[in-house]
Amino acid sequence: MIDIRNVSKLYGPKVAVQNLSLQVPKGELFAFLGPNGAGKTTTIKMLCGLLFPSSGTVHVGGFDLQSEGDSARALISYVPDQPFLYDKLTGREFLKFTADLYAMPTSKAEEKIEWAIDLFHLEEFVDDLTERYSHGMRQRTVFAAALVHDPKLLIADEPTVGLDPKSIRELKTLLRQLADDGMTIFLSTHTLDIAQELADRIGIIDRGRLLGCGTMKDLQKQASSDGNLEELFLKITEEVENETVGA
Amino acid sequence: MGIEIPITADQGLVFRRLRIALFRNGLRLALQSSRTRLFGTFATCLIVAAFTFGVGIYLFDQLEKNKIPFKGAIVEALFDLLFFTLGSMLLFSTGIILYASLFTSPETRFLLCSPARADHIFATKFQGAIAFSSWGFVVLGIPIFLAYGLVSGVPWYFYALLPAYLLGFVLLPGSISAGFCLLLVRYMPQNRRQFFIFVGLVVMAVGAIWLYKVGIGLNQSIASNGRDLSDLIGQFDLFRSGLTPSHWMSRGVMAAARGEIVGSLVPLALVWSNGLVLFVMATWLAKRVYRSAYNRLAGSGRGKKIYKASRLDRLMESLVYYLDPRTRVLVVKDFRTFRRDPTQWALLIIFGLLMLFGASNFRQYYAADLAVMDKYAISLVNLCGTAILLCAGLSRFIFPLISLEGRKFWILGLTPISRDQLLRGKFAFAATGSLIIADGLILVSDLLIGVPWEGLLLHAVIATIIALGLSAINVGLGAYMPNFRETDPSKIVVGFSGTVNMVTGLGFIVLVIGLMAVPFHTAQLTKKMNDGQISPWVFAGMPFGLVLGILAVVLPMRAGARSLRGMEF
Repeated sequence: MIDIRNVSKLYGPKVAVQNLSLQVPKGELFAFLGPNGAGKTTTIKMLCGLLFPSSGTVHVGGFDLQSEGDSARALISYVPDQPFLYDKLTGREFLKFTADLYAMPTSKAEEKIEWAIDLFHLEEFVDDLTERYSHGMRQRTVFAAALVHDPKLLIADEPTVGLDPKSIRELKTLLRQLADDGMTIFLSTHTLDIAQELADRIGIIDRGRLLGCGTMKDLQKQASSDGNLEELFLKITEEVENETVGA
Repeated sequence: MGIEIPITADQGLVFRRLRIALFRNGLRLALQSSRTRLFGTFATCLIVAAFTFGVGIYLFDQLEKNKIPFKGAIVEALFDLLFFTLGSMLLFSTGIILYASLFTSPETRFLLCSPARADHIFATKFQGAIAFSSWGFVVLGIPIFLAYGLVSGVPWYFYALLPAYLLGFVLLPGSISAGFCLLLVRYMPQNRRQFFIFVGLVVMAVGAIWLYKVGIGLNQSIASNGRDLSDLIGQFDLFRSGLTPSHWMSRGVMAAARGEIVGSLVPLALVWSNGLVLFVMATWLAKRVYRSAYNRLAGSGRGKKIYKASRLDRLMESLVYYLDPRTRVLVVKDFRTFRRDPTQWALLIIFGLLMLFGASNFRQYYAADLAVMDKYAISLVNLCGTAILLCAGLSRFIFPLISLEGRKFWILGLTPISRDQLLRGKFAFAATGSLIIADGLILVSDLLIGVPWEGLLLHAVIATIIALGLSAINVGLGAYMPNFRETDPSKIVVGFSGTVNMVTGLGFIVLVIGLMAVPFHTAQLTKKMNDGQISPWVFAGMPFGLVLGILAVVLPMRAGARSLRGMEF
């Protein structure tokens, strides 16, 4: 579903992503980890077609994000860490707008909107203007909009920020279920226990380079450690930091 | 082979529905919970339109009554100038709003990650920018033409065609600035500073040469009692060429006024066809370059720049030495933010230079032995110009200061600085800058014209009162009616609270100048008729002006402080 080949991204003289190659097959829940400024968000922005690689190619569902971006984006849903909603629309109107944008037939759209409202418990506030929503309500509405059109790829950047423990638990179950049903999920997070609990594979990026990628066992093998993901993450990123300082 | 993708939506329809829903919900909310604000906005627009209409009626009536020669040519030249000026303003304002909407807003970031097509996103944002930037055009433009129509007794279709003319016209500068904005972001050289300095110098040089020519023409036409009026009008050839849309507009409007229906429809067709072609071209351009332009802007990082304390910061701190150290820190913080944003001070410098350029031009009248009373008329115009410049500048830069603290307001709320200190700091910052600008501009322009010392002193006192009063009005009302939701200062300024602030400021200026300066200047103008004697009563308005100045400082600051103290964060 995701095919990133030899991608580098420069911000002027600064290298944000360096020669990144990564493939994520259909139905996989992939967790993307890294310290602040590691290149996670830049990679996500290239996956959504918001930014173009300085070199290399990004394909989603076989479509090149640069030359066939509109087709590729029709398959994608993106939930950013700072969710955007139109202040002067109600939650329901926003869900309808999203369904229309993705060209869903009216009857199917109405059915899916009700499903999403029920799934994310939006009933109490879905007909209020979104300008009155709390962060958690906004996050749930954005998630509902992301799933309303049955995307093939769901990209989520820090999806649990602002959610209460019950909502986090429900979201984790839902994400796992969606992946099992065939949706590809690309999850960027700092919450390592979520990544360890949910992900089929985990990628660790730092200073724009992919330092490790694989299952928990693959990463344990790479770090020569039987520890949990937190230990592995710290060990792998510290090794690179030491190499950089030594060089 | 890619995965099968869903059918494409009729995105034009989807975005139309979105705009309708946003408008309907916004209006409903305004009618439910902000009725005063909504009607206040309408009332303010009506007052401005009525004022413009009144001035228009008076001036066009004077042209009619006094049988001024070349009346038709003067009116057509004035309309040319009006359309050219409004068109240029639309060019800049649409470009700036569109830049912010297309490249910096969270909404476009959201839409660019969706299957929304680049040209549809552009078209939606373009319509929003046009509507936002052209309301002033409607409020100021329509009353002028209505006034002309009523005074000149034009046929009915003059009024019927006016909206079609104005609507068509806004497409032209809007589309040009949109295309320019897209191309600039997509292909601008990497070294932006050098590029902008080069463009700025070219624009200023061309403008200066033209203004110089206009000044010479004006000088000669007045010196020769109107004989060289055609030469002066000739200086406006730039606007009057058959290729300029502003001239199509004035030609068409004038033809409609004369009752020449065909002569009025041809320019209208020219305006609309060119406007629509330019819009289609801009949309085509957006389809080709918008996404790559966005990528270029987002990916154009620059080398690490180290920001250090500047001597200007220390100068600012020493200018507000009378404040306590904590408030001084806030003042320096505001000043540092201001000086690091060239878009803020560049406009002030351009306006200031234009005014001094104008004053130096008027100096030629003095050199040409014009009657001394003309100096007073010109210096009064300069005083009004400085006051309006200050009003516009403070409304743009100072009024949104509290609003812009926005979501960061809690940081200030938790600091050991009281909110009164915060407000006093903003007032000190605004007052220091405006005193330097107002008194500096007035003194230099008065000296250039050669105004006697008593006039110079009077102007300095008035400029000081206006600078302090406007600073307090902008700071006080900014705190009294903050808009913490908006992050774009230009939208805060043109919103309801910004409009109320602007109108209050202009009202204050009219009262202070009316009470303190107008009697003195009128007396100077009529001195010869009164055997060179000036009645001491011309200074009777001084104490009222002073009291007004004190009230303008105390009342808004008190209201702002009360509102700020009660604010939750």
